[in-house]
Amino acid sequence: MKVGIPKALLYYYYGPFWEILFEELGMEVVVSDDTNKKLINEGIKASVPEICVPIKIFIGHSIDLAKKNVDYIFVPRMVSIYKGEVFCPKFMGLPDMIRHGVEGMEDKILTCHIKSKNDDISDYRNYIDVAEKLKISHDKLKKACEVASEKWYRFREYNKKGHHILEAIDMVNNDIKLESIKKYDNDVKLGVLGYVYNMYDGFVNMNVIDKLKDLNVDFVTFDMLDENELRKYIDDMDKVLFWTFSNKLLGAGYKFFRENEVDGVIHITAFGCGPDSFLGKLFEIESDDTKVPFMTIRVDEHTGENHLQTRIEAFVDMIRRKKAKAVMGG
Amino acid sequence: MVKAYIGIDVGSVSTNIIALDEDNEVLFKLYERTNGQPLETIKKGLKKLRDELGKNIIVSGVGTTGSGRQLAGVMIGADIIKNEITAHAVATVHYVPDVRTIFEIGGQDSKIILIKDQMVVDFAMNTVCAAGTGSFLDHQAERLGIPIEEFGKLALTSKNDVRIAGRCTVFAESDMIAKQQYGFSKADIIKGLCNALVRNYINNLGRGKKLEPPYVFQGGVAANIGIKAAFEREVGHEVIVPKYYNVMGAIGAALLAKEAVKEKGKTNFRGFDSLKTNFVPSSFICTGCSNMCEVIKVEMDGTPIAMWGDRCGMWTEKVKQAM
Repeated sequence: MKVGIPKALLYYYYGPFWEILFEELGMEVVVSDDTNKKLINEGIKASVPEICVPIKIFIGHSIDLAKKNVDYIFVPRMVSIYKGEVFCPKFMGLPDMIRHGVEGMEDKILTCHIKSKNDDISDYRNYIDVAEKLKISHDKLKKACEVASEKWYRFREYNKKGHHILEAIDMVNNDIKLESIKKYDNDVKLGVLGYVYNMYDGFVNMNVIDKLKDLNVDFVTFDMLDENELRKYIDDMDKVLFWTFSNKLLGAGYKFFRENEVDGVIHITAFGCGPDSFLGKLFEIESDDTKVPFMTIRVDEHTGENHLQTRIEAFVDMIRRKKAKAVMGG
Repeated sequence: MVKAYIGIDVGSVSTNIIALDEDNEVLFKLYERTNGQPLETIKKGLKKLRDELGKNIIVSGVGTTGSGRQLAGVMIGADIIKNEITAHAVATVHYVPDVRTIFEIGGQDSKIILIKDQMVVDFAMNTVCAAGTGSFLDHQAERLGIPIEEFGKLALTSKNDVRIAGRCTVFAESDMIAKQQYGFSKADIIKGLCNALVRNYINNLGRGKKLEPPYVFQGGVAANIGIKAAFEREVGHEVIVPKYYNVMGAIGAALLAKEAVKEKGKTNFRGFDSLKTNFVPSSFICTGCSNMCEVIKVEMDGTPIAMWGDRCGMWTEKVKQAM
């Protein structure tokens, strides 16, 4: 039996868990291709026009998998991974949106409710619906979850030692041993804030990671921080946001701004993202208060690459020029 | 013989060339229409520079900026190839050190740059809509039968407020015709047009941004005193138009080139003779994957010397390695 996993949305956070889970359940796992123009165009065609581009991309990946003749496409219903907080409604309604909105998907969607107290979503009870559909015993499911969980924790450990998510996934998959915490030696270090699917999908953000590398810039992301650090600066707020990953970004952002450990902060956001309209404003206010430079990069299916290149270049340039001036005592 | 630093700004409408001396004084200034032929325009401009200054200067650094910066940079051996935001900001900060807001309106695009402590803190660019740019004004001046040079002066003579829809060139035009039929004078209509352009610019580019003085207005359109006055009305404050308002990008590129050469010790300038070399730009659609990138290739005497536009970097790398 072939189970397809779309390389989109939370694949960039839970992919290492889900891949092993289905392998351990005895499935042949098929991951969709990297996002590309053809795939994104098919996603756009099959989606309602006003939805955000990450969802359109997810739908494109699902279509890609359907073409690869998988028996099922895994589309979990992400409900909550933190007490009192939820996911964006589009995540909660994703299986329904695809089942009823995209042609030919009705019998292909394999789904389950994910509800958890924290980031660890390896509790087998989350996947009982999946096991039942695949006619797998609870014992086998439990074991598979344990094995997958072990790998996921390893991935997170690498990630938290300063390797970004794509590097960490690569390290786990190739069994590379981790020597030590990643060292930063460039003269400019940025905090880059964005949901994993905007940050690590090189197509939608036009290879922001490579562009930063070409400019010899180091960067830190929210996923490199431990949960305690992420909550440190938002715990004393009267009210946090409704959405867990937004709160993670907020906590990371506050840390970057206030602890003076980065030279600037870039927020990568998808056009039309509701939660990010709050986040963006909160970051703006924080930037004014702390005097740490801040820039928003808004991506959608029409983003021009020259424009993005110019913006990033200009941002990094000015940080470098300011630093050089400070050194010269100007 | 004096040291000279050349800055070249290759834009869609104009190509500007500047030469600065060691004290950043302008030795040479050229504002030339690109006419869709950046290579020819650069060659012609540099020839002019050589004819005027050639015997008295040693070219000690070259910088390029603008949308054609890559091509120009490869062609003449630039020491620095910089985006236009940085280039404009560097030049403005040089002339108005405490500037906070830069309004830049060129032929086909416009930008707003916010500066704090001489550092760009925010910016926006308009790339699709021409309603707030020079070509819109050109077109309207022509329609009203007024030379573009007179346009601004005439606006200042108006005593009435006429509101012209500025959202879109098409609506602005039909609105203007209607207002003409109501009997408003040309001066009134032009003033209304200036206000509409500025309103549109601020709404598009300045949305959600706090605009603080000192304000500097530059780019080709800054020649228009009617627009300058409209900006002053809109922000309620004096707006400075720097002396070299229409070549600020090129000046920034020259300043940056000087800096770059100081750091590395020598210039990469290929020399004026290199202009005789035959450069041929071309483009093709790469079919390596389903991204179908349009890859730009520049050949010098038949050998590819630069490629860009590929998302994966395959072609870019190939040329770099071969060089």
